Amino acid sequence: MSVFLRLIFFCIVPFSYCGLWIADCGALESETQNLTSEIKNPKSEISRDAVIRLFTDANEKYLQAAKLIAAKDSRGAGQKLDEAALQYETILANGFQNGQIYYNLGNTYYRLGKLGKAIVNYRRARQFIPRNADLDANLKLVKSSTEDKELSNETPIVIRRIFFWFFLFNQNELTMGAVFLYGILMILLFFLIVLKYPWLKKIIIGFSAGLFIVVVSLGIKIYVEQGKDHGVVIATKCHVRYGPGEEYELKFEIHDGAECVIEDEKNGWYKVYVHVGVKQGIEPKTGTEEKASKEVRGGWLLKKDVEAI
Amino acid sequence: MGKYVKHFYLWITIIIFFGYIETVFAQDISLTATVDRNVLTLNDRLQLTLTIHGTQDTAPPSFPSIEGFTLLYGPKISVQTKIINGSVSTSKGYTYVLQPAAKGKLTIGPSVVEYKGNTYTSPPVSVEVTDAKPSPETPSPNFEKAIFVELSTDKNTAYLYEQTVLSFKLYFQKGLPISDINYTAPLTKNFMEEKLGDQRQYEEIRDGIIYNVLELRTALFPMVSGELTITQAKLHCNLVIRQRREQRDSDGFFGDSFFDDFFGREQKRYPIERTTEPITIKVKPLPEQGKPKDFHGAVGTYDMEASIKVQKVKVGDPITFSISVYGEGNIQTINEPTLVLNNEDDFKLYPAESVTQITHREELIRGRKVFSKVIEPQNTDLQYTPAVVFSFFDPRIGQYRTITKEPTPITVEAGHQEVPIQLTLSQNGLQSAKQQAHILTQDILPLMTNISPLRNQGKGIYKSPFIIACLAIPAIIVITSFFITQHKERLQTDIGYARNRRAHTVAKRRLATAQSVLSRNTPAEFYSSLSKAMADYLADKFNISTASASSDNIGTLLKQRGVDELLVEEVSSYLTDLDYRRFSKDGGMREEMDRSLKSAEQLITKLEKQLS
Repeated sequence: MSVFLRLIFFCIVPFSYCGLWIADCGALESETQNLTSEIKNPKSEISRDAVIRLFTDANEKYLQAAKLIAAKDSRGAGQKLDEAALQYETILANGFQNGQIYYNLGNTYYRLGKLGKAIVNYRRARQFIPRNADLDANLKLVKSSTEDKELSNETPIVIRRIFFWFFLFNQNELTMGAVFLYGILMILLFFLIVLKYPWLKKIIIGFSAGLFIVVVSLGIKIYVEQGKDHGVVIATKCHVRYGPGEEYELKFEIHDGAECVIEDEKNGWYKVYVHVGVKQGIEPKTGTEEKASKEVRGGWLLKKDVEAI
Repeated sequence: MGKYVKHFYLWITIIIFFGYIETVFAQDISLTATVDRNVLTLNDRLQLTLTIHGTQDTAPPSFPSIEGFTLLYGPKISVQTKIINGSVSTSKGYTYVLQPAAKGKLTIGPSVVEYKGNTYTSPPVSVEVTDAKPSPETPSPNFEKAIFVELSTDKNTAYLYEQTVLSFKLYFQKGLPISDINYTAPLTKNFMEEKLGDQRQYEEIRDGIIYNVLELRTALFPMVSGELTITQAKLHCNLVIRQRREQRDSDGFFGDSFFDDFFGREQKRYPIERTTEPITIKVKPLPEQGKPKDFHGAVGTYDMEASIKVQKVKVGDPITFSISVYGEGNIQTINEPTLVLNNEDDFKLYPAESVTQITHREELIRGRKVFSKVIEPQNTDLQYTPAVVFSFFDPRIGQYRTITKEPTPITVEAGHQEVPIQLTLSQNGLQSAKQQAHILTQDILPLMTNISPLRNQGKGIYKSPFIIACLAIPAIIVITSFFITQHKERLQTDIGYARNRRAHTVAKRRLATAQSVLSRNTPAEFYSSLSKAMADYLADKFNISTASASSDNIGTLLKQRGVDELLVEEVSSYLTDLDYRRFSKDGGMREEMDRSLKSAEQLITKLEKQLS
């Protein structure tokens, strides 16, 4: 009886906050619109069992969509993908964050042709599963599909190799590393105080340096990942203007999937800068590009057209 | 026959050569009159040069009227030929030296020269002659008129987004050596800027004086309407003047001018700073009347070309429209021309890619913006591409203009139905969109379906209060062990510290002994043990021998340690009283012994508080 009650609690109670009863998957399909509006303001905790159920269900819908694509039923596939995306979003909106979910959501949005949203979710997934090769491959693929072939925001490979721990470990892994080093350091200090072995001092200095590096790296990572200073354009076409308002002149256009750095926010507008490719000229006879360079351009974008990572 | 042909070519060559020479030397003829200064004193001499530009084959120009001057000598004739970038310029100068005979504002009249039946006249030159002044010992040069700057725009009133040329000019009298030029550009808030070419250098005659001019030009595009101000521009430079050094006997060999020049000892630098006046431009908003629907803010003079590469396609095949908008104006901000569709479902439109190319930057910003727009015909009934329409505001005529490129005929055949869902990597953008569905090896990698690692990773471990509390425990243990170890070491090595720390405990034990003696009712023995307990306690506290713990000595030590005067007095009198009772036969009653014991306990407690 108690098992039955727990099942009800796990499956129903968390979703009652969202106005969604998922006891029947068919019900979920029919209330897609309601859920979309509701998931904007949820913050209830969701149980792991409920997450697994939604997760597997969404995965199943994604696979069904893939089959429909193969059968050239684009309409049915689009519907399935929409439902899968909604279920992933539901999990995330309930405060349950996981790299796999972001990754799968990124895949789903890519299938739907929403490159900007796909990139946002891949970037978020990378915060949790930074060493995942599939994720890197998909992100690269989606980036190459965007219309603005802008200079990537990726950190240079040399930097990634030198500060490998910063890029290979997520926040929790770095925290665990710091705790581990701290524990070892404390044990060594204890033995130094009690036993007074002078050779322990050199080991302690080494561990202290290691701990310092890991703690500083962790601090920087938290600052970088929690700050809303990077965004991705999610609108099909986006006008970058000289100032925060429609009355300002159009400066240039960027498109779905373009990544930008957010500098400021004002009256529903983001001040951003992007790396864009500038073609220097066109060969008059052949029409081929003579030379291309990259430059940084700034301007103001409507906030609703950009999703912060 | 061959001989004639050969001569024919020779004559042709000669004709072309002389024609070229004629073209090269064909210049505008002009006559200028210049002076070396236009403010001078009665003691100075004025150098007047009449220059004929464009030819050297003329009679000398007529000598002008020089009322107020007397001719000292002249003319000195100089001939000049310059070839710059294949362009030949010639001139012939006649230089006269005049002596002012009267002061005031004098005018040198026009000079006239005739060449091939035409008459050329030089403008008159005004000169101001002042009283002769005694020359100061170290004359400080006055360069107000010799170096000056100007900031100007080509128009005072402009339309919004209209190209306006801002020109900064530095004038310095010909021959003045200036260096270290530092230019601070004006602030052009509310304008978009584009640099116009490299700096220009030329000569200009003003008030009869030849100036070298350095000109910097910028194209400005006002972004808001109203009265806009361009702030002042600043220029810093150094004027390098060679001054004669007083010859001293001691200079000897090194006083030679060669060394002066080499080491720069005779050069003096005068810092010069010049500031222009700010400029105000009235920017008019674009008129609402006649504004086309597809107008998106392009202002300038433009034309448009549109073309397609293929005219025979299948349904769903991409057609790349190449639309080139070119002309004068802000090329960067030219918006995409509009395609006019009869039916929205006829063509699938993709966003255009654009390339901006600025072709001219000399006089005005000219260039082209090429839009590559991909369109896909959606049915076989289509026979023409959409018409292309581009609207802009032409500030020269003050009206909106619309350019329309008529539809191009195309042939659309039946094709495969495209699946709108994104399947695979688009390496080559939209053009390869049709092949994507077949390249399954380039598809995105599959979903992650493993449930075991599915846990909430959003809760940062570092935020957990439990972890933070756990981190404090080892630190507390280490710190505690450090202090305990330190304490133990000191007890072993520092006798004074050890005696001090143990004093209270030992004293309590001794007082307990005294209490046991009290029960036997032997006053002498009781007071002896009580006295020993107090003396040992104080000796331990001050790290002295028990024998040194006399009443006087203890009193002095207590005072040195800052113990309260009353307590010191109390301790001293108590110790004296104990000594008295130890050696007196009158040991006192049981109650007195109890009181002494309690007093000892109280005194030790008080001392413990004040000495710790």
